[in-house]
Amino acid sequence: MEILSKLHAKNLVQWAKDKPDVLVLSADLTSSTEIDLFRNTYPDRFISFGVAEQNMMSFAGGLAREGFFPFVHTFAVFIYRRAYDQIAMSISYPNLPVRMFGFLPGVTTPGGATHQAIEDISIIRSLPNMTILECGDATDVETVLDCAHAVNGPVYIRMLRGEIPRLFDKSEPMILRKSRQLSRGNDITILSSGICTEEAIRAVEALKKQGISITHLHISTLKPFNDSAVLEALSANKYGVITMENHTIIGGLGSIVAEKMAEQGTSNKLFRIGIKDTYLHGASREYLMKEYGIDATVLIRTVEDITDFRFNITEGDLKKVHIAPMHSDAKAEAL
Amino acid sequence: METVKEMEGSKTDINELNDTARRIRINLLKMLTNAGSGHTGGSLSAADIVTALYFAKMKHDPKNPKWADRDRFILSKGHAAPLLYTVLAECGYFDKSELMTLRRLSSRLQGHPDCKALPCVEISTGSLGQGLSIANGVALSGKIDNASFRVYVLLGDGETQEGQVWEAAMTAAHYKLDNLCAIIDRNRLQIDGAVEEVMSIEPVVDKWEAFGWNVIETDGHDIAKILSALNEAEKVKAKPTMIIAHTIKGKGVSIFEGKVEYHGIAPTKEELEIALKELEA
Repeated sequence: MEILSKLHAKNLVQWAKDKPDVLVLSADLTSSTEIDLFRNTYPDRFISFGVAEQNMMSFAGGLAREGFFPFVHTFAVFIYRRAYDQIAMSISYPNLPVRMFGFLPGVTTPGGATHQAIEDISIIRSLPNMTILECGDATDVETVLDCAHAVNGPVYIRMLRGEIPRLFDKSEPMILRKSRQLSRGNDITILSSGICTEEAIRAVEALKKQGISITHLHISTLKPFNDSAVLEALSANKYGVITMENHTIIGGLGSIVAEKMAEQGTSNKLFRIGIKDTYLHGASREYLMKEYGIDATVLIRTVEDITDFRFNITEGDLKKVHIAPMHSDAKAEAL
Repeated sequence: METVKEMEGSKTDINELNDTARRIRINLLKMLTNAGSGHTGGSLSAADIVTALYFAKMKHDPKNPKWADRDRFILSKGHAAPLLYTVLAECGYFDKSELMTLRRLSSRLQGHPDCKALPCVEISTGSLGQGLSIANGVALSGKIDNASFRVYVLLGDGETQEGQVWEAAMTAAHYKLDNLCAIIDRNRLQIDGAVEEVMSIEPVVDKWEAFGWNVIETDGHDIAKILSALNEAEKVKAKPTMIIAHTIKGKGVSIFEGKVEYHGIAPTKEELEIALKELEA
């Protein structure tokens, strides 16, 4: 598996080259959100705010009002927890094209509960006019910029940094409002998002060898949620639907799918894999995924429960997962 | 801090502006009474400031609300919407008859300004503390584009208790936004009572100066002095200007003046009659 490092840093500089209306905003997390290269390359299009996110959000609304495209970068928690009213009133109510890049989703930081965004999708998706995108691999990170920029309104992006695996072919970009079909089958539908997709791919590979027929879709547009391929897959299965997300099951992908299934009158069962209404703590991503039950093993156990089969798949049978280093040159700080 | 001494503008002009401000007070009270709800005190206290801006200071064109070179006005104290609507109608942005739709179902005149419904409103406001940050963004946009427009933003004095205002205060000075002029409607009252008792904002001049602003104090009901302050602000380079406009909440109507309870209620029909008698005298 190809692993890429600090992808966003180089990619954003290249992408924004011929887009003078794109401004990058930072609240003292410039290298931590991989916009240091942008700052050095286009200093006139980089705006520093210090540790003051509320002002940054309303300021972004003012820039957007004048025809600029502010690309706000900070940790996800400081976007939606710290500046919610500012996002609501200075950005989403006037429907302004501000792009908010939220880093450190869920378990991707050992920084503990203060830095782990576990309810961002839940909070932000309740705001009218918002579009929500989430990246699951290197190709997503490279191509999410075009998707976000195609939206004539505010966009929240659940972003990845540091070392990121490439799961999807470089030639197949993220497409706004479309899922990626990773497997087709009729026993079970699995919908995964973000870093959980890599885990789901490992599990699905092993399950398929056991003769289970699976539809696996990677979700990158969480709002609006109207991809016909996804809506059809909710009922086209024998045993049920499993959602898998690096986010609380309250309000995230699992809730979104539950709402759609209820509205469609789908009688199939739904199983939600995600963070179970609890704060996390500081530990490595791999440890937290196991402890909070959002890894490949949990997905296999869930399929066993649904189908009433026992597969005897051990961790050794699963393709090795990419272990990202916690402290290295790949990250700006230990968070 | 500078104190404005010189009077600017001819006596006739000032008399005309005073007359406009009087008409605006009359119309905004009529609209408030008709609506049966809305913010009386803070609309009256800022009436002379906003009249001076729209009728004497700002470059703007009611026939072309999105004119790129227009000066921008952001009403950070969004609850003074009745004042803003009355001024915009008086300028000719929309027909004065629409004022009577305030807070009615489907009206463009929402209780707090909605820029999507009413495009001559620069930005939707009402959640306090955000307008100065937005104005900073607009002002920096003007700098990037080498545009000639100026940005005016009106805050309530109680509003400056919001922490975000001070984040924005730092930012405007840091980026040397001399195309920005903020005004505090220093009427000394907020919902719970006197600003100084609810949460003191003094020493207000020292605070803004310490944050790197050029500060001018003026009488917020003397249009000549307000204009002098606005002109003075325009001359200052490399710094944003804050005009502390000393005002009286409910100004112009004796029964509302200095009365905290008229912050968020509309005059009754009887009170309106008294008010009109005083204003039309």
